[in-house]
Amino acid sequence: MKKKFKKVEPYIWILPSVLLMAVFILVPIVFVFRMALSDVSKAGLIKGFAGLENFRKVTSSSVFAMVLKNTLVWTVAVVGISTLLGFILAILLNNEFKGRKLARAVVVFPWATTLIVQASIWKFIIDTDYGTLNTLLMRLGIIDHAINWTPTAGAYFAWEIACGIFVTIPFVTFTVLSGLQSIDASYYEAAAVDGASYWQKMFQITIPLVRPNLTISTILNIIYVFNSFPIIWTITKGDPANRTDTLVTYLYKLAFYNGKQGQAAAVSVIGFLILLLCASLYMVSVLKKGDE
Amino acid sequence: MKMKQVLATGAALSMALSMTPVTASAADKVDINVIAAQYGQQTADWWANFVTEFNEANPDINLNVEVVSWNDIYTVVNTRIANGEAPDVLNIDVFADYQADDLLLPIQDVVSEETYSKMYDAFLAQSEVDGTVWAIPDLASARAMYYNKDILDAAGVEVPTTWDELKDACEKIKAYDDSLYPWGIDMTTDEGQAAFAYYTWNNGGGFVDDDGNWTLNSEQNVEAIQYAIDLVNSGYTNTDPANDTRYDLQDMFGAGKVAMLIAPNSLPTYIATGGNEVNYGVASIPSNTGESVSAGVMDRFMCFDNDYSDEEKAAITTFFDYFYDDARYTEWVDMEGFLPATKTGGEALAAANEDMASWIDILDSCKFYPTAKAEWADVKQGVINVEQNALLGGDVQELLDDLQSEIAG
Repeated sequence: MKKKFKKVEPYIWILPSVLLMAVFILVPIVFVFRMALSDVSKAGLIKGFAGLENFRKVTSSSVFAMVLKNTLVWTVAVVGISTLLGFILAILLNNEFKGRKLARAVVVFPWATTLIVQASIWKFIIDTDYGTLNTLLMRLGIIDHAINWTPTAGAYFAWEIACGIFVTIPFVTFTVLSGLQSIDASYYEAAAVDGASYWQKMFQITIPLVRPNLTISTILNIIYVFNSFPIIWTITKGDPANRTDTLVTYLYKLAFYNGKQGQAAAVSVIGFLILLLCASLYMVSVLKKGDE
Repeated sequence: MKMKQVLATGAALSMALSMTPVTASAADKVDINVIAAQYGQQTADWWANFVTEFNEANPDINLNVEVVSWNDIYTVVNTRIANGEAPDVLNIDVFADYQADDLLLPIQDVVSEETYSKMYDAFLAQSEVDGTVWAIPDLASARAMYYNKDILDAAGVEVPTTWDELKDACEKIKAYDDSLYPWGIDMTTDEGQAAFAYYTWNNGGGFVDDDGNWTLNSEQNVEAIQYAIDLVNSGYTNTDPANDTRYDLQDMFGAGKVAMLIAPNSLPTYIATGGNEVNYGVASIPSNTGESVSAGVMDRFMCFDNDYSDEEKAAITTFFDYFYDDARYTEWVDMEGFLPATKTGGEALAAANEDMASWIDILDSCKFYPTAKAEWADVKQGVINVEQNALLGGDVQELLDDLQSEIAG
């Protein structure tokens, strides 16, 4: 009897979290899939099974390809650049220097601030008419009249990406930093004795040893950034004419501005599948490399 | 899965679950559940007070009012409907989607003849589908042109009434001070449909013809939108009409950066609250036809069809009579800073306040968005999209042709 209980015990302990996950993650996922396959009225009533009609409507819209491309550019640019910069910052912060603690605390700030607040501040900084960037440059005498920092949709998107990078860097930095701190100093001493250069140490010791941390931060960032809503919504709402929309802002507009909840659910499912695919491919390739 | 969405659905679920016990109240009291939109800071307090007084005055009715912010109200209502927990009475802006799903009762089933006859006829007509009126207006707002008197005087410009005069005025203001924006335009996702209305209605065009057919690509509309885009391209407006919302414009007007703009009757309050002071004047929206048309916006009460007994219907009628009681109603409209939707309310407010009187006149010449039509949500987003594409250099005629064929088939 006691033996049997021992066997069951762990499952009892994890039951609450499994239940929570089932209720708050699995059920909504099922709901979204059901909605994506249903004919949904504007008031939100499910009128019947629609097969892949919602998916057909979404993918046949001329806007969808542009939105998909934007999402790709957004995710790759934000994750790629912030991983590179975050990594460099982590290396710097791993050095001994005066005020290191303060520097580390400062790096957390962008991360610890709500995204909406961050995005609102960026929007305020770059505003043509009352932005602080123009004011600052004019006070310093660098420019003599206000510059329009966002003359095109592309410029807006670039600023949004910059904001995304800014808020993503701290997460990469701290994940990598925790990896760096667990590397035994004796590796570097041995390498130094063998006469290894800085770059040799970097590529032969540091990077291989923090790879698990980089993997984690990259995968999580791909998911976070791909699904990130507040920055784009606060700064441009996807305007003008969907030029800065990503899948998430696009589906929000479909659902809550156009009343097309079925199609919005379909976009959501498409995003989910893309992420699932990307994350799986990345995991598999990284795990394979790890085995080698 | 998307964390936000999961959380939102989770929150909605738990909300829906917590709603259920409402019906099980005191034995023989009739329950009425109302969802009301939160117009401002005082809305919730006002309703709380209303409920207390109403329940005291009507001991056999148990009124329950839930005040919900505009950000959440659509999600809350849709979730309730999906769970079979529709409210009895709903205060919101749109009604056509609920009507299309057969969720509503004809409003005259539950509103007394006396209360119904108080409403402006033009307002009631906005809630009519297939010859039946499905909602009654609760309040309205209207738009007019505001101008900065100091700037116009300094630039030696008369208040423009026609499109030619407007262009002229813009040119002179620009010549007077290059850093000013003579004219404010909002073509954002927020409210770009309003810009479409201002220009097309004042050029004899519009969303629909007299029979209610979509006429999005009419000659007048193309000319009107082209005119607005030309104003932008000539440098007469704010630099970024696709991203400057009307609140941005109102701020810039308050700061003396924008010289003229079209704004709602609440603008003076908005500017004062923001701590700005402007020497402003109000005038009709410039028109190309000689007859200025203002844009009206109106919100509504509607009644969901929850298989009512006669007592329940009577209770809802009592609720409406109580709400539209002249003294109580004008107090409410005044508190929210809007315009009244009833004739008696209009008379009372006009008598008390001169500014209000001129607004109530404007209200009389208002046109409204065709919100009773099922395609409205698509049209609204569609015209915003057309405007933004035109700002990016697209051809107005082609864009409107595409939209018209997409909407009207």
